[in-house]
Amino acid sequence: MSKPLIVEHLTKSYGPGSLAVDDVSFEVKQGEFVAIIGPSGAGKSTILRCINRMVEPSDGRILFEGNDISHVQGKKLRDARRRIGMIFQHYNLVYRLTVMQNVMHGRLGYMSTMDGILNRYKEEDKEKALKLLNKVGLLEYMYKRASELSGGQKQRVGIVRALMQEPSLLLCDEPIASLDPNSSKVIMDLIYELTKEWNISCIVNLHQVHVAKEYATRIIGIRQGKLVFDGPPSELTNVMIEEIYNTSMENLMINGEVRAVG
Amino acid sequence: MADKQKHLPLVDGGEKKMVTIAFFVMLALFTAATAYTQFNPFTILKEQSTFWNFITQDFLPPDIAKAKGLWSAMLQTLGMALAATFIASCLAFVFAFLGSGTTAPYPWLSKIIRAVGSFTRNIPALVWSFILVMAFGIGTSVGLIALTVETFGFLLRAFIETIDEVGSESLEALNACGADYFQKLAQCVIPAAIPGYISWFLYCIEVNIRSSTIVGMVGGGGVGLVLMIYIKSFKYHVAGAIILAIAAVVILVDLTTNWLRKRVLV
Ligand SMILES: Nc1ncnc2c1ncn2[C@@H]1O[C@H](COP(=O)(O)OP(=O)(O)OP(=O)(O)O)[C@@H](O)[C@H]1O
Ligand SMILES: [Mg+2]
Repeated sequence: MSKPLIVEHLTKSYGPGSLAVDDVSFEVKQGEFVAIIGPSGAGKSTILRCINRMVEPSDGRILFEGNDISHVQGKKLRDARRRIGMIFQHYNLVYRLTVMQNVMHGRLGYMSTMDGILNRYKEEDKEKALKLLNKVGLLEYMYKRASELSGGQKQRVGIVRALMQEPSLLLCDEPIASLDPNSSKVIMDLIYELTKEWNISCIVNLHQVHVAKEYATRIIGIRQGKLVFDGPPSELTNVMIEEIYNTSMENLMINGEVRAVG
Repeated sequence: MADKQKHLPLVDGGEKKMVTIAFFVMLALFTAATAYTQFNPFTILKEQSTFWNFITQDFLPPDIAKAKGLWSAMLQTLGMALAATFIASCLAFVFAFLGSGTTAPYPWLSKIIRAVGSFTRNIPALVWSFILVMAFGIGTSVGLIALTVETFGFLLRAFIETIDEVGSESLEALNACGADYFQKLAQCVIPAAIPGYISWFLYCIEVNIRSSTIVGMVGGGGVGLVLMIYIKSFKYHVAGAIILAIAAVVILVDLTTNWLRKRVLV
C-alpha cells in the first residue's frame, strides 16, 4: 500500500542507436509530490508516458499499486489508466465540446462502452464535477465550449478531468509551459492543494527549477536519459543543477530565477 | 556598369530559375493542347448569328406548358441526388473510421478501404451509369446507384481527411482516461469531425443535383431523361423550358445549402 508506483530499470529507445531513457529506477510514495527536471530532450516526457503506457517501454518494469503493468493490454490496461490522471502542456481538450462534457470524460474508464457513447454519466458523478468546477472557479463556464476558454482556464478543465478519474497517481507533463506567470501559479497551487487534499501521488515535469524547488517534496534530475539526481529540494545545490543541465548557473538565470527554459 | 548597385534577390536564384522554366513549359504545353483541338476562338464570333438564331428561334420562348411530366421528373432527380448523397455519406461515415490513420484498428484494412475509395471515386458517375444501363436498362435506380458509388468514393476520402485532421492530442487524453475504442469515437473523434462532415455532405448535395441531371440524360431517369427525349424529338421550345427549370432548381439548392452552411457551422 505504501508504494503506489515503482519504476524499475526503465529503458526506452525510439530507434536503433540512441536511448531516450536509459535504465531509470525510482519509487513514489503515496501523497508524494515529485518534480522531474532536466534539459530539453533529456527524456522527461518519455518517462512520464511510459508510466501510463502512452509510450511502450523497451525494457524495465512499471509496478502500479502492486501490479506489473509493463505488458498488460486491453481491459487491464484501461483499468490501470483510469487510476492514473494525466495533465498535458497543451491541455488536450475536445474543443468543440462543453467544459462539462470534457470533464466528464474522466469517468469513461469506469463505464460500459454504450453508457460512455450515450453520455449516460451517473448523476452523483455530475454533482462531483460541479463541485470540482466550483473549486477551480469555472462553475459559470460549465456550458461554454472548451475552445472559448483562456489557456489557464483550459488547464483548469484538464485538472478537473484528471481528478474525475479518482486517480491515485497524477502525471503532469509541463502543465505550465504554455502559461503566463500568474496562471502558472494558479495552476501549480491547484495541483498542489488538490493532490494533497486527496492524498494523490503526483509527478510533474517542469522546466522551471525554482517552481520545482517551491512545490516538490522530492526532485528527480534527468540528463540524457539517465537519472542523475534523486532527493529532497534542499539537496538540489547549484552545483547539482549545473550538473543536470550541463551548463553554468548564469546561463540558467532569467530575472534572478532559475528557469532553465529548454 | 561599374557603379551599378548590387542587386540582392529576395528568393534563392536557383529556385527562381526553376519557376521560370516551369512557367514556360506549362505555357507551351497548354498552347500545344489548344492547337491540337483546332479550336479557333474566332469561330464563335464569326458564327455568332447561327448561334443566336438557334437560341432566339428554336429555344425561345420556352414552352413550359407542353413539358409534360417535368415536375415529377424534377422531383425524381432531386430525390435521386439527395438519396445518393445520404446513402453514400452513411457508408462513408462508417468506413472512414476504418480508413483513417488516427482511428484505423488495422493498418492493412485501412489500405484496402482507401484503395476501394479511390477506385470508386476515380470512375465518374457518368461511366458508372453507362455500365449499369447496359446491365439493368434505363431507370432511376441506375442513376441512384451510379451517383451513390461515385459520391461514396469522394466522401470516403473527404471524411478520412477530416478525421486525420482531428489530431492525436485530444485522443491521447481520452486514452489516458481509460476510454475504449468506441467511446473515443463518440466522445472525441465525431464531435471534432462534425463540421467537416456537414460541410462535405452539403457540397456533395450541390454537386449531385447537377450530376443527377447528367446521369439521367444517359439513362439514369429523372429530368435529364425527359430533357433528352425532347431534344431528340427536336422540341426545342420545351427543352428550353426544362433547361431553365433545371437552372432555377440548381440555384435554389445552392442558396439553401449556403444558408444551411452558415447556420450550422459556427
Ligand atoms: N515519438 C518519438 N519518436 C522518436 N523519437 C522521440 C519521440 N519522442 C521523443 N523522442 C526523442 O526522445 C528523446 C527524449 O524526448 P522527450 O520528449 O522525452 O524529452 P523531454 O525531456 O520531455 O524534452 P522537453 O523538455 O523538450 O519536453 C529526444 O531525443 C527526442 O528526440
Ligand atoms: Mg517533454
